[in-house]
Amino acid sequence: MAKVEPGMEAMVDVYIFETTALLEQLDEILLRTEKANEFTEEDINEIFRIMHTVKGSSAMMGFENLQMLAHKGEDMFFIIREAPEKMTDVGFVYDLVFQMSDLFKAEIDMIQNDDDYTATDFSEMIGKLEKGAKMLKGELDSAEAAEAAGAADAGAAPAVPADVAPDCTTVRVFFEDGCKMENIRAFMLINNVKETVDDVEIVKYVPEDIESNQDSANVIIDNGFLLSFRAPDVKAVLSAIEGSLNVQSYEVIDNTTAPAEEKAPEPAPAAAPQPAPAPAAAAQAAPAAAAAQAAPKPAEKPKAPAAEQKAPTASSGGGKQSLISVNLQKLDQLHDIVGEIITTESMVISNPELEGLRLESFTKSARELRKLTDELQDTVMSIRMVPLTGPFQKMNRIVRDMKVKLNKDVELVIEGDTTEVDKSIVDNLNDPLMHLVRNAVDHGIENTTEERVARGKPAKGTVKLSAMSSSGEVVITISDDGQGIDTEKVISKAERNGLLTKPISEYTEREIQNMILLPGFSTNDVVTEYSGRGVGMDVVKSNLSKMGGSLTVESKKGEGTSFIIKIPLTLAIVDGMEIMVGDAEFTVPISVIKESFIVKHEQILNDTRRGEMIMIRGVCYPMLRLNEKFGLPSDVNDIEDGIVLLIESENRGICLFADKLIGEQQVVVKPFPKYLSQYDIKGQGLSGCTIMGDGSISLIIDVNTLIGSR
Amino acid sequence: MDIKELFAKQEEMKRKNLNAKNEKESEITKVLTFFIGDQVYGIEIPCVIEIIGVPHITVVPGIPYYIKGIINVRSKVVPVIDMRSRFGKEEKEYNERTNTIIIEESGVTVGVIVDEVIGVLPVYQKNIANSPDRIGVNDNKFIKYLLEMQDGIKLVLDVAKLIYDGDMYLGDE
Repeated sequence: MAKVEPGMEAMVDVYIFETTALLEQLDEILLRTEKANEFTEEDINEIFRIMHTVKGSSAMMGFENLQMLAHKGEDMFFIIREAPEKMTDVGFVYDLVFQMSDLFKAEIDMIQNDDDYTATDFSEMIGKLEKGAKMLKGELDSAEAAEAAGAADAGAAPAVPADVAPDCTTVRVFFEDGCKMENIRAFMLINNVKETVDDVEIVKYVPEDIESNQDSANVIIDNGFLLSFRAPDVKAVLSAIEGSLNVQSYEVIDNTTAPAEEKAPEPAPAAAPQPAPAPAAAAQAAPAAAAAQAAPKPAEKPKAPAAEQKAPTASSGGGKQSLISVNLQKLDQLHDIVGEIITTESMVISNPELEGLRLESFTKSARELRKLTDELQDTVMSIRMVPLTGPFQKMNRIVRDMKVKLNKDVELVIEGDTTEVDKSIVDNLNDPLMHLVRNAVDHGIENTTEERVARGKPAKGTVKLSAMSSSGEVVITISDDGQGIDTEKVISKAERNGLLTKPISEYTEREIQNMILLPGFSTNDVVTEYSGRGVGMDVVKSNLSKMGGSLTVESKKGEGTSFIIKIPLTLAIVDGMEIMVGDAEFTVPISVIKESFIVKHEQILNDTRRGEMIMIRGVCYPMLRLNEKFGLPSDVNDIEDGIVLLIESENRGICLFADKLIGEQQVVVKPFPKYLSQYDIKGQGLSGCTIMGDGSISLIIDVNTLIGSR
Repeated sequence: MDIKELFAKQEEMKRKNLNAKNEKESEITKVLTFFIGDQVYGIEIPCVIEIIGVPHITVVPGIPYYIKGIINVRSKVVPVIDMRSRFGKEEKEYNERTNTIIIEESGVTVGVIVDEVIGVLPVYQKNIANSPDRIGVNDNKFIKYLLEMQDGIKLVLDVAKLIYDGDMYLGDE
């Protein structure tokens, strides 16, 4: 894993994992759309997003060649997105994107497995993509574009590869009529040759994309499969080809080195193998072959050709990432089962039938079991919870790179990155954070330090990334002290793009500010490497809404902009204090508890409306009896019998009166069942519930609402 | 108790056997029947997840009186509705015969507390009574159809309405 900056090694695994997943997603979309023969708007957007993300993370890791490649791909889809109607001939787009995807995979494989990895030069592919983009713009005619698609459509020019070294032998192989999947046969042929003959070097073969492109089967049917190799024993290779499955005939074309007698080892129909089938027949065979290949194993991934050529043994070997992806559902299931085990365990251990018995070894074993199940529960809980440190630290790199490239003096301040959130949230946060931080640096911070100084700000711009969990939500704020949102510019742009639904004068400042979250909106006039296409906000919104989160903008012109992400804590862990009120158990987040104590009657003050108050160290706090608040009958009504908790949040305090304290416990917050969401339980001061170790349900108190209600 | 799967199999078998018979004779579905007071009600089996007793119910403030609270069904938090109070009947103490039927409709799971579960009944087309004007409105809006059986009329509940309809017309309320 060389060639990665020191300090980034740990990220390589994540990068490889993420990028591979994205590329697989890309292939899936391409295969699906190619079959259906149309791109929907959604597909185009999705591909665009994938390119955008791959570009971003490659840039972060410092793989400039990959970044460049993705950038060009993104460019092409940018054009398609703007004018989808121009996409009449989509064939070459597929070729290009598939080629690109393969190059990506090969490169990533190399990053993963090669110790002395050096960046591959993709300028050829980039050139093709540029040509493709121009073609889409209508600047080139389709003939040239087809040429741009290059070797993928080798059908036009099946000549001997020009760049083959003179000491090579080139063979043209034809497969049996109707044997189907000619491209796979060709691939097998290559493997066969490699296996049976020592020291053979496959120099080149045409079509090149036999592994990934089903259409190459047609090319092979029409023109044969060209294989150039270099070997000390040409004869052995030829016999290996002859012995391969489904090979009908082959001919050695051109070559100065092959001995004459080998030119016609088989009297067979070498000369006229297959010119007979008319294009129509070939076309017929094509879908059949394609279908036959695609249908049985749609999940089969085309392996990276580079890895294949390098060393077939290495592809399955070492260098695998230490991360595995697990279906979250399985984790949920595991979590539920552990919960049940703990419930069952306490049923066994505190079984009434055991009462009064002296069971020394049983008690000992039971204690051991409890210890283990506790550990199990902790582990299962911790599996799902991850701190935000990972995604936050990634941003450091982005800001640093942008600082250099954009020549801006910006500092990233990170706060609260130890806030733990559910794994699924962290996964979905990467993209939104990346885009928002880029936006803050690119759009937010002023372009020159002079501008900043003139406005009386420090020359160095600050982008702040902070996270905290607050009453059932994770709040992540990305704020900058830059120029703020220019509402006039926003509204005029919105007008030009036809995004307005009412007269300009009726829009409030807030509404205008939030317009920048609309898809396809960008006030940056120039499309830069980092932003300006309006795709960022689009990604942010779609990723956040997946999690049920929200995004708001707060901005003051000249002073800065804040993007506030709020995500509900569907499965967060809270350190809670368990309290009893009547029969019911409640959880109060420990973070808000200042102290708990027993009060005397003398300490209670009564206000004019029967409300109770208590004076603690010179501060007067209102008292809330939880049994009255929640309408629960309780035996503890005397203030001296119960316990009082002083809780404080957002600088306001309140005292809660409960029957008794049970103890401290880490609990997993569960939302109330969907069915109850139609009622205002949150308004009652409850944020969720949790299942306790003994199977009972405890309600989690939402301190902010409680304080507000009093 | 995985009733669903079992019955799905049974049903398929029966359907095969009954294919020859005419439509009036063929079984449409099965209903789980239970008492609420003296009346027999039914819920179509495909909605039923399981039948349990009455577990400890955690009271939740701020919800209608007929939703008794939430229970823990295998680490899942499920709200429970008392059918007696849902139908405007006088509530009574839960006893060992009281059952909670866990039902699911389009992803929403609830438990309904009934006086006593009776059993499972096959439904034939010929049993379904025709009374379209009285069914599905006002007092009867939770009723999907009536079953006329030899031992009396059974009211089959519309689970979707039961779950999604927030308020019920309660006559004198």
